[in-house]
Amino acid sequence: MAPTGRMLRELLYNAFYVTDHTTHFYILAGPDFIMGPESDPAKRNILGVINKVGLEIGGAVIKLRADAAELISMIGGKQIHPVMGLPGGVSQAITAEQRDRMVQITAEQVEFAKFTMGLFNDVVLGNNDYVDLIKSDAFTHETYYMGLVDENNKVNFYDGKVRVVGPDGAELEKFEGKDYLAHLAEHVEPYSYLVYPYLKSVGWKGFVDGKDSGVYRASPLSRLNASDGMATPLAQAEYERFYETLGGKPVHATLATHWARLVELLYAAERAHELATDPDIINPDVRNIPTGIVGEGVGVVEAPRGTLYHHYKTDEKGMVTAVNLIVGTTNNNAAISMSLKKAAEGLLTGGKEIKEGTLNMIEMAFRAYDPCFGCATHTLPGEMPLQITVRNETTHDVVATAQRNM
Amino acid sequence: MPQDVEVAESEVGGLRLLELVRGFTKVVIIDALRSGGAPGEIKRLDADEFRGGHRYGSAHSIHLGTVLELGRELGLPMPAEVVVYTVEALDVETFGEQLSEPVAAAAGRLVDLIGDELATGVCPASLAAAS
Repeated sequence: MAPTGRMLRELLYNAFYVTDHTTHFYILAGPDFIMGPESDPAKRNILGVINKVGLEIGGAVIKLRADAAELISMIGGKQIHPVMGLPGGVSQAITAEQRDRMVQITAEQVEFAKFTMGLFNDVVLGNNDYVDLIKSDAFTHETYYMGLVDENNKVNFYDGKVRVVGPDGAELEKFEGKDYLAHLAEHVEPYSYLVYPYLKSVGWKGFVDGKDSGVYRASPLSRLNASDGMATPLAQAEYERFYETLGGKPVHATLATHWARLVELLYAAERAHELATDPDIINPDVRNIPTGIVGEGVGVVEAPRGTLYHHYKTDEKGMVTAVNLIVGTTNNNAAISMSLKKAAEGLLTGGKEIKEGTLNMIEMAFRAYDPCFGCATHTLPGEMPLQITVRNETTHDVVATAQRNM
Repeated sequence: MPQDVEVAESEVGGLRLLELVRGFTKVVIIDALRSGGAPGEIKRLDADEFRGGHRYGSAHSIHLGTVLELGRELGLPMPAEVVVYTVEALDVETFGEQLSEPVAAAAGRLVDLIGDELATGVCPASLAAAS
C-alpha cells in the first residue's frame, strides 16, 4: 500500500473514533454519571447534561461532530460509507489547504478530549460513590481481553497484531488477523442467531468467567488490558493514571470501560493530529495500483466497540464469493450476557422494591460495552423475525405471545 | 425551483441530520417508506409526527424528532418547519441502481408537489385534502 494512502486511512479512522467515542460519552453513557444513575429518567439524558454542565458543552459536541464529518468527507468523499478506500491506498490525495484545515480540526479535538477527561475526573472520579460502583463486584468479570497492538505492544486501532491476555494479565497469544480462524470459534445458542465467539485454545465452558473459560472481551477496557500502553504522550499519561487508580493490570471492572474509552478518545485525537501534521500527508502518491487478484483476504481493525474481522474470498474476476465477519459487539456477546445477569443478581435482592434507578443501573452494565446489536445481527435479506413470550411470574404460564416475521 | 433553495442528497440519519438541517428556514426531506401502502404512494408528514425521546440505547436510536428538539434546546438556528415527503417503496432489500416501476412512476408527481409547496409555501392542496 502507498504509505501516504495508509496514513490518510488511519487519519480518517482516528477522526471517526473521536466523534464516535465522544457521542457515547456525552449522549449515551455520560448521563448515567453526570446526572446520576438513579436520577429522574426525564432528565437523565443529553439535555440534562447540558443543563448541568452548560449549554456551551452541547454546542461543542455538535461542533466536534460536524468538524470530524468535514475531515472525514475531505478524505473519504462522504461521511457515511466513505468511498476512498481502494486496494493499494486511497482514491485521491489531499491539498495543502485541506491539510491546514485538518491540522486545525485535530488540534481542537485534542483540546476537547483533554476537557472531557477533566470532566470525567471531576464528576466521576471525584465522587466516591461512583468509584465504589465502578469497582463493585456486581460489575466485575475476570475474562480474557483482546486488542490490536503495534510492534511495541501499544494500542493501535488501524493495524497490527491481535493480542490476547488472560485474567491474570499474561499474554495468551498474539496473532495476525489472517489467522483468526485458528484462534477463534463461535458458540451458538438456539434462541439467537448472534453467535458467541470464544478462544479456541481455552474452549467454550459456558457463560462463566475465569482462566478456564474461553470467554473474552474486546472493548476499550480490553484494548488497554491487552496492550503495554498508548503510543501518544497524553494518552500514555492517562493510561498510567488509569491503572494506578484502579489497582494495577488488568482491570476487570466493566464500568471502567467508560474511563478507558476516554483514554482512547485522547489517543485518537493525538494520533489524528500527528498524522495531519506529518509533511508526507499531502504527498500525491496515495495508491499503488494492484496488478493481480489475490482471491482471499482478511482485514482486522479495532472498531470502537471491539475487534472487527472481515474475511473475503473472490473469484478470478475479484467478485466476492464468500464473506465472514466478526464485528465489535459480537466479540462481547457472551460477556454482555454475563454482565447483565451478574448486575441483576447483585442489585435485585429479595423483598426490596425494584426502582427505575435500579433497573437503569443494570442497563449500565450493558451500556458500558457501547453495543451495536444492529451491526451484530444484520441478516440477508434484511428481515428480523422476533418472537416474544410473556409468562406469569409465579406460575410461569404463558400470558401472551407476539410474533413478527419482518 | 426558487433561487434560495438548496438541494442535497444525503445518506445520513440521527445526529448527523442536525448538522445538515441547521441554518435553514424550512427543510423538505424526501425518503422511502415501508408502511404497508401501495408502492409509489406519496405521503406528506409533519416532522412533529416523528416523536423521539432522550433516552438512547444506541446512536441509531436517535430519531428525527429527537434531533430537532435537541437542536432547539441547544439554541441552534433550527428550521421553523420540517416536512417529510415519503414514497412507499416496493423493495428495499434488493440491491440495484434503478427505482422500481411504481416508485419511478411517482417521481414526477413528487417533484411537482414539492415544487408547488416551495413556490406557495404551503402544503399542496391535493395532499392536504388527502390528509
